[in-house]
Amino acid sequence: MRWRDIIRISTFRLSAMLGAVFVVGLIAMLGVVYLATARDLTARSDRILHAAAQRLLRVPADQLPDRVRSELRRDRAGFNYLSLIAADGTVIVGNVRPLRPLSPGRPVDVEGGSRGPFRLVALRTGQGETLLVGRDISLLRDLRHTILETLIVSGLLTLLCVATAAIGFSRAPLRRVRALQRASREIAAGDFSVRMPIAGRHDELDQFATTVNATVEEVGRVVAQVKGATDAIAHDLRTPLTRLRATLNALRHHPHDVGGVAAGIRQATGDLDLVLERFAALLRISELEAGRRRAGFRTIDLGTLVTQVAELYEPLAEDRDITLSVTARSWSAEGDDKLLFEALSNLLDNAIKFGRPGGRVGIALVDDAHGRAIEVRDDGPGIAADERDAVLRRFHRGQGAQDTPGSGLGLSLVVAILHLHGFRLSLSDAGPGLCVRIALPRPV
Amino acid sequence: MAAILVIEDDDATAVAVIAELERHGHVASRAADGESGLQLATREAFDAITLDRMLPGLDGLTLVARLRERHITIPVLMLSALSDVDERIAGLRAGGDDYLTKPFDFAEMAMRVEVLLRRREQAEAVVLRGGGIECDLVRRSVKVDGEPVRLLHMEFRLLEFLMRNRGEVMTRRIIFERVWGYYFDPGANLISVHIARLRKKIDRPGRPSPIQTVKGEGYLFEG
Repeated sequence: MRWRDIIRISTFRLSAMLGAVFVVGLIAMLGVVYLATARDLTARSDRILHAAAQRLLRVPADQLPDRVRSELRRDRAGFNYLSLIAADGTVIVGNVRPLRPLSPGRPVDVEGGSRGPFRLVALRTGQGETLLVGRDISLLRDLRHTILETLIVSGLLTLLCVATAAIGFSRAPLRRVRALQRASREIAAGDFSVRMPIAGRHDELDQFATTVNATVEEVGRVVAQVKGATDAIAHDLRTPLTRLRATLNALRHHPHDVGGVAAGIRQATGDLDLVLERFAALLRISELEAGRRRAGFRTIDLGTLVTQVAELYEPLAEDRDITLSVTARSWSAEGDDKLLFEALSNLLDNAIKFGRPGGRVGIALVDDAHGRAIEVRDDGPGIAADERDAVLRRFHRGQGAQDTPGSGLGLSLVVAILHLHGFRLSLSDAGPGLCVRIALPRPV
Repeated sequence: MAAILVIEDDDATAVAVIAELERHGHVASRAADGESGLQLATREAFDAITLDRMLPGLDGLTLVARLRERHITIPVLMLSALSDVDERIAGLRAGGDDYLTKPFDFAEMAMRVEVLLRRREQAEAVVLRGGGIECDLVRRSVKVDGEPVRLLHMEFRLLEFLMRNRGEVMTRRIIFERVWGYYFDPGANLISVHIARLRKKIDRPGRPSPIQTVKGEGYLFEG
């Protein structure tokens, strides 16, 4: 995992940005803490200086020099500075002399004394002398330096933590992106069984992978269907074409057999019609699967549609002594009415064709625990559970359908039409018979 | 006898189309490209046109649109190798009256031309009569031998279509297209049972049905 890859990850950038904002805030906060602490310590020191100076000013003027001497003697540690300065500037008594004139009552820092920095305040006595009172501030300075260092070090440590966290947070997404890239390369190479890994966090990467997986599934389905269709075409179109070739070959060898020629031409025309019929059906399916007819979608009434289909097939049902029932409701859907009419016609035609003579066929709009659907039921022999998937494939003819006319493309066409509409077709046992269910999307 | 203009660039197809139309008693002229087809159609009086959709130079869609712009209302049967439903819609929108996909059955082509010719002739008709049947298109009522017969909506349309094309064999497919308005193969038996139901209502005992079955081809109204 390279540094360059890590810093490109959005998690890293986001973490780094948030970290930077955090660090700036932290520095501002620590700066305020430092300044407030430093000012407080200086103020405390100044109050002590003033208190000491006021105490000395209350001493009678004639005793003040002795008092100063006595105070200096007591200060064995040498932290205090005291001086009594005459009006002419000579030091009467004390251990400090100002290098420049001081404003009375305003403490100042004095650097570079023999014992380090100190804080000094000057006050006037009643006799016009100046009393200088000072305190060593080395400890105060050290304390301020310690606070400042602590703040800088903790700021730097925080910065380091933020950077480490940003890198750490980015590694996992980067690993997931790498896994997604590997999966996409395999899919691009033609393996449609591969799916994008989903971490189960429902985050944006999971959402993206789910979308891609749905697309891959759809593409895989179409590719498999195209392959299946190609195989089926090769098989099913070859049969009539081979027969046609054989017929033409026979005609070539017996051109003077008038009866044979007429029969041969009839046979050849029939075979060609079969090829053309299948070809036309395949083209329609591919046209539908290309989704180009969605442009013709509009709001349609499914109840009317179901009723019209039933009306069209009612005479056919009657011809087979089948009772056809219709349950319609006024449901609207977005779709192409001509295509849906064709799909429903196909299903109803099958139900009547393969249903039991004298039995019942029903077409109904149903609303049950599984949602809204269009159902076409018959009470015929039905389709065995293990054959139900196969009948939806192109050119497949179910058991017992071999003697019934049809190209085997009808249900594929139905599936293609329903797929175009986002409807889902499923076959189940109607006990007895077959139930074809078209699940409708939930109304918006 | 009608004068038909065949606009078709493929020689073999043009010869076969003309031969079939002549077999039906029509006089056919040919134009091999769009420009000359448009000139002929504009200059001379034809009763119908068969028009190839894909032509060199001026294509079929543009040609039919130009004709309609010039208020020439000759019925046009478009013949096309483009089979998409959208192409059919485009052809009809441009002004074509019917659309047939190649490869087609030549007899069916001729039959569609007949349908177009008759539709034009009978556009003004109010009552169709034949075989003892009187079909009133305004009142939507039918009488057989003077007695009123109640027909369902689609039965009426089926009878009207067959009567309008009296004497011509109509295939199941074209019946389904023209009566029900759907362009798919509804299966072999569906139209038969609708015809059978109609016959039950309009046939009279001791007399052959005016609707005849032509085996392997379709149905024919005679009378």
